[in-house]
Amino acid sequence: MSLVDLMTMAKPNLESREKILAKLRGRELVNCFQCIKCTSGCTALKLLELKPHEIIKLVNLGFVDELPSSDIIWTCVTCLKCVQRCPQKASPYHVIMALRNLAVEREAKVPEGYLKAVSQILETGLAETAQKVVTGEMETVDRVCLKLPKIISPKEGFQAVFMKTMEEK
Amino acid sequence: MTRIGIYVCHCGLNIAGVVDVEKVAEYAKGLPDVVVTKHYTYMCSDPGQRMIQEDIKAQKLDRIVIATCSPRMHEETFRRAVAEAGLNPYLTEIVNLREQVSWPHTDEPEKATEKAKALVRMGVARARLLEPLEKRKVTVEKSVLVVGGGIAGIQASLDLADAGFKVYLVEKAPSIGGRMAQLDKTFPTLDCSACILTPKMVDVAKHQNITLLTNAEVTGVKGFVGNYEVSILKKPRYLDVVRCVGCEVCTKVCPVKVPDKFNENLSEKRAISIYSPQAVPKIATIDPDYCLRLKYNKGVCGKCQDACEAKAINFEQQPETIQAKVGGIVLAVGSEVFDASKMAELGYGRFKNVISNIEFERISDASGPTGGKILTPKDGKPPRTIVFIQCVGSRDKRFHEYCCRVGCMATLKQAILAREKISENVKIYVCFIDLRAFGKGYDEFYTRARDMDIDFIAGLPSEIHSAPDGSLYFDVYDKGTNKLLEMHADLVVLGTGLVPNSDLGNISALFHASRSADGFLLEAHPKLRPLETAMAGIFLAGACQGPKDIPDTVAQASGAAAKAIDLLSSGEIELEPLKAVVDKDLCSGCRICESTCPFIAIEMKSEIVNGNETFRAEVIEAMCQGCGLCSSACPTGAITIQQYSNKQVLTQVEAALTEACAEGGK
Repeated sequence: MSLVDLMTMAKPNLESREKILAKLRGRELVNCFQCIKCTSGCTALKLLELKPHEIIKLVNLGFVDELPSSDIIWTCVTCLKCVQRCPQKASPYHVIMALRNLAVEREAKVPEGYLKAVSQILETGLAETAQKVVTGEMETVDRVCLKLPKIISPKEGFQAVFMKTMEEK
Repeated sequence: MTRIGIYVCHCGLNIAGVVDVEKVAEYAKGLPDVVVTKHYTYMCSDPGQRMIQEDIKAQKLDRIVIATCSPRMHEETFRRAVAEAGLNPYLTEIVNLREQVSWPHTDEPEKATEKAKALVRMGVARARLLEPLEKRKVTVEKSVLVVGGGIAGIQASLDLADAGFKVYLVEKAPSIGGRMAQLDKTFPTLDCSACILTPKMVDVAKHQNITLLTNAEVTGVKGFVGNYEVSILKKPRYLDVVRCVGCEVCTKVCPVKVPDKFNENLSEKRAISIYSPQAVPKIATIDPDYCLRLKYNKGVCGKCQDACEAKAINFEQQPETIQAKVGGIVLAVGSEVFDASKMAELGYGRFKNVISNIEFERISDASGPTGGKILTPKDGKPPRTIVFIQCVGSRDKRFHEYCCRVGCMATLKQAILAREKISENVKIYVCFIDLRAFGKGYDEFYTRARDMDIDFIAGLPSEIHSAPDGSLYFDVYDKGTNKLLEMHADLVVLGTGLVPNSDLGNISALFHASRSADGFLLEAHPKLRPLETAMAGIFLAGACQGPKDIPDTVAQASGAAAKAIDLLSSGEIELEPLKAVVDKDLCSGCRICESTCPFIAIEMKSEIVNGNETFRAEVIEAMCQGCGLCSSACPTGAITIQQYSNKQVLTQVEAALTEACAEGGK
């Protein structure tokens, strides 16, 4: 192999790289020219140190063995800004989703917080149940005060829809 | 008795590296009527050409098949060689073994060799049916139409006029000068743009060989190379161009304020105005979309008319169409600057202090809205932090995939100008992806910018925000420090790229000039014919062919002028003999060919047959370009293109299929 990461002595794994590429609709990520717009605008970066441009570069070079078992890939909040703004349509979001799928296939450890969120959705049908919101002035107020509708769980039967979708996939 | 010579070229290893040229030559020996078969390293070289010429004489060859590169590359070379040996040059057939065989099939040498054999077989089949043809000669007009009066059109016009050609220079705007007239300084030498451009503009106006037509557009093009007939529409200026002395008294009394296009709408002018301070010709023009008199009512206003001592104002002026005969056409219609409001995340159009690079030029220019002081548009104060953001609208698959080729250098120049004009108190940052400083003296210019404490951030921001106090801020991740930085700026300058003119579609249709995938006008060959369109006699100069800086534009304009001079200087030109021929007995007079012909080369002539008037198509030989549209459209097969008759083409198809079928039967 022609590349070695001297910090970890890791070598590229082109087979795993192909597996990730196969999970994407296109191969646009190889077009990434590291303009860093994705990371500059990443919602998860400030708190969680997710650097989409690094993930793309690591996948492109084949340094992929560590990625599925890393907590980093679970910190994406799927705001899709990177998808919308990437000038090369390389879409870090889709790569991160592919890595998550690979992680589940390999039965890698999924972070607790993420699993909690998923089970909450499965139980209540909601990602967010808080009835209070934080305003721009950092005040916590009731949604009703801001004339926002109450958050209500979806009608019964949504779990069946979830299960059906998961089986299809 | 036909005697065919076959010559297989190795093209170094370009062909021979994939195709077994010896096998192909050996195979060709067995084809009917083949007398000579040879293969050689470079057929196009002098010894290669001589080999063919000697064989023609010694072996009395009357058909030559050359299996080599694309005919677009060397067909002319080989035809010339064949003609020198005394054979009609149109008895030569080129078989393309490079672009059609070795290059696309590098992985399959055996199959490539088989394909090469098949193509040679087809070539021989066609060669046997080739007929000798003579070139046609037509006289040409020693005059040229130049479309667009930017630096490209100006340079081309001056070169042509100095060489003694009559030039019609047509400019859409009321003054020539184009984009370059809007610029403050030019990279990498920081020459003042107006100082080097204005003298050339004046030269154009004074040159006795140049007819300058400003405020005008080309509306019609007919004819063919050497003999184009063009219609030029002169839009009314609503004043007598001879009487107006450019005193600008009218512009002071006019009550209607209009955004000033020359200043990128950063300031206002009046409905009657002179286009720019250095305008050539320096005469006023009334904007009919704003003038109260022209727009609403014949009775109102008229203040300019009262004020004009020269009595030049004429509200009754009508558009005028001028006809001109020209031999060649130079298209120099330029480009536009990308509209950054399409990239919503950067806030251009929403935030007043986010400006485009062309707007920065006007702010920095001594004749601009701020008199050359760099002030923010929103509050009119000198900025303390300026951030330049690169590749806006360029290298972006959502907008334009190409590199704009001027953005990096324009930004370096503007950053240097800002440093010089606002002194050391200003912080200047450039956010970039790759910094391209590729021209002569350009990288030294980049060094100069770094010497002047301009900071470069390797990374682009995702979005720009405005704080409640109106200041701008954004996050940007810097590759160099691996840090997410929050930047605050008083002025953000977007490195907007160059894009094709919005009316380039019309221009392309009018002149039959094709466009490339990027939307710009397409050159005849990307490397070997960069100054010409595929239409004979129509040349390209400047940014209408692709984004270009000033040095490249001027070089291309002089080149295009030289090409036009080369074409027209002898007063007559030779045309390819390949043209359409009508078999009158088969023609039903349906007129389909007449409507399909892009060159208006088909006329319907009336004839009296058995006492009834019928119509038959007739080809105007001088206009026919041999494109073949009529031939494929003709329902009765009455029109054929010489050298591409149905028989010649179908014989080739048959040759392609016969051996393939035989092998399939094995």
